Amino acid sequence: MDDFHLAILANAGLLSFLGLSCWILLVAGMVSFGQQAFFAIGAYVAAFGTVTGALPLPLALAAGLGAGAAAGTLLGLITRRLGGFRFAVASLAFAEAVRLGLDLLVLRVPGPGGGPVGPGGTDGFGGIRLLYESGTTAGGFVALIWGTLAAVLVLLTVAERTGPGRGLRMIGEDPVLAEALGRDPGRLRLAAAAAAGAVAALGGGLFAHYTTYVEPSNFGLMIGIHGLAYALIGGLGTAVAPLLGVGFDIGLLEGARAFQSYRMVVFGGAVAVFLIWRPRGILDEALVARLALLFRRLADRAPGPGPAGARPTSPQDAKEPT
Amino acid sequence: MIAAAVAGLALGASYALLATGFTVVFGVLRRIDLAYGASIMLGLYAAIWLHREGMAGAPALAPVVIAVTVLAAAYVERLCFAPHADRPPVTAMAASFAIWMQLQEIAVLALPLHTYPFPSPFAGAWPAGALGGIRPEHVLALVAAAAIGLGLARLLGHTRFGLAVRATTENRAAAACAGIDTRRVAIAVFGLAAAIGGVAGYLIACIDGQVAPHFAMRATLDGIAAAILGGLGSIPGAIAGGLLLGLVEAAARSAWGPQQADLARYGLLLAVLAAAPGGLAGIAGAARRRLAARRRASGRRVGEASAAGEA
Repeated sequence: MDDFHLAILANAGLLSFLGLSCWILLVAGMVSFGQQAFFAIGAYVAAFGTVTGALPLPLALAAGLGAGAAAGTLLGLITRRLGGFRFAVASLAFAEAVRLGLDLLVLRVPGPGGGPVGPGGTDGFGGIRLLYESGTTAGGFVALIWGTLAAVLVLLTVAERTGPGRGLRMIGEDPVLAEALGRDPGRLRLAAAAAAGAVAALGGGLFAHYTTYVEPSNFGLMIGIHGLAYALIGGLGTAVAPLLGVGFDIGLLEGARAFQSYRMVVFGGAVAVFLIWRPRGILDEALVARLALLFRRLADRAPGPGPAGARPTSPQDAKEPT
Repeated sequence: MIAAAVAGLALGASYALLATGFTVVFGVLRRIDLAYGASIMLGLYAAIWLHREGMAGAPALAPVVIAVTVLAAAYVERLCFAPHADRPPVTAMAASFAIWMQLQEIAVLALPLHTYPFPSPFAGAWPAGALGGIRPEHVLALVAAAAIGLGLARLLGHTRFGLAVRATTENRAAAACAGIDTRRVAIAVFGLAAAIGGVAGYLIACIDGQVAPHFAMRATLDGIAAAILGGLGSIPGAIAGGLLLGLVEAAARSAWGPQQADLARYGLLLAVLAAAPGGLAGIAGAARRRLAARRRASGRRVGEASAAGEA
């Protein structure tokens, strides 16, 4: 594979972290315009860990992830009494505050090479060269990004089937009903905010090491809306769905170079039209249930007639709840 | 000193208008139009474009801004609000956010420079330093905002349309039962909010003397911040919140600098959301209820005393 396609793959993987972060919150019924803040926090913390020579990459990424989870918890605590659009506005204000804060953050320390390293406010944070100095190839880095992404996807898919995972979907659909059934919306939403912060921060840490240079303007609202749009287009039915949204955007961008300067015009309009047609995305709960049914039928047919206990539910039962 | 206070109040008056736009739409539709600032920005960019092409003089720009803003809002309403009327409010909000990016990009593609000067209607007509340094644009902003505030109070308080709007705000289902076409009320309020936003955008552009692509972001966030500060859904709250935000921002800017003032504004917004999501109107409402309860309690005591006296 050539460098061009490797770069596309790397970008798609990195953006998927942001999409997944928004997806976790959307499942819980929270629309966040501010997940780029956690992407930024992860990028800065992980990069600071490696440029000072204090941490190897896995630990630096873990530190970024922890910082993202802590910041997510902070946002969750600030917004614990807020629903719907007030949460959305708060997340937006939080992200802009983080970005402006990074503009003011100058923390230059002597690096292992002698020269000063660290974030330099609006001048950006450069020299994040650990992977290049250790001789990692572009292909190796893409494998690292997608390997990490696959691990996160497996974790999320497993988490979805646990009690808290199901609870999250319940509070996203009907918080009052979920509370009546013994779920604690406050605690679940806080957990969702922390998990979403952690996922975005992990992607941010990888992003910083991939680009070797980050600056606060990398983490503006534009990238935030893209993350949200990936989750909305992909669908709320399964954790794999945001990747579909990323594929849609990158396909649009790379497939039609003529659109280049009109990217946001096309993308913005496409998202709005798309939401009219499928308000819960391509892979929404109904479609995921239908696909699961199809797979089960195929699996049943292969070894002969399936056992009576595995009788699939009718497609009507899989209707999208309103 | 007086000029600085007038400047802060004028800025606050424009925020109050933006906040009023958000608040009336929220009252009727229970939804937030995130493309509001971008619609206004498109209006301003259209006016600048016409002015640069020599098709509109400085005095004709205000109606152009308002008309294009209302047109853009009609597009937003059709695409983001009408189809999602019966769905969770966040869907419409997410759609309007996508259209924000689209409208902003259209404006930037038409006029790609970093900033564009916005012609003042007072160019050369006001001697510099007159009235202790008070700028005519500030006076215009205060007068226009006061006129719109009074006009809106009259419209909502004393007309059939206003009654329909208030009824729909209070209880949409009951209003529909009483024969009000709530769908049309919603569209009319959306257009009204856009017109108010157009005026606010024109005033801000006159005060700044220039327009830049981040206008959409600023107008949306300032309007929402002022509306939430005042208490979303309350028009007096929106006006008080706007004036307060303008004064705070002017003070922070002169004390710390523009970047820190921006940071302070987001901090204030987060603090209000965390501590008092109902804003000034919520605080005032709680105080009024407490006062009324105390008055009822003391009234009962007075009543009991007089009854005892009569016996």
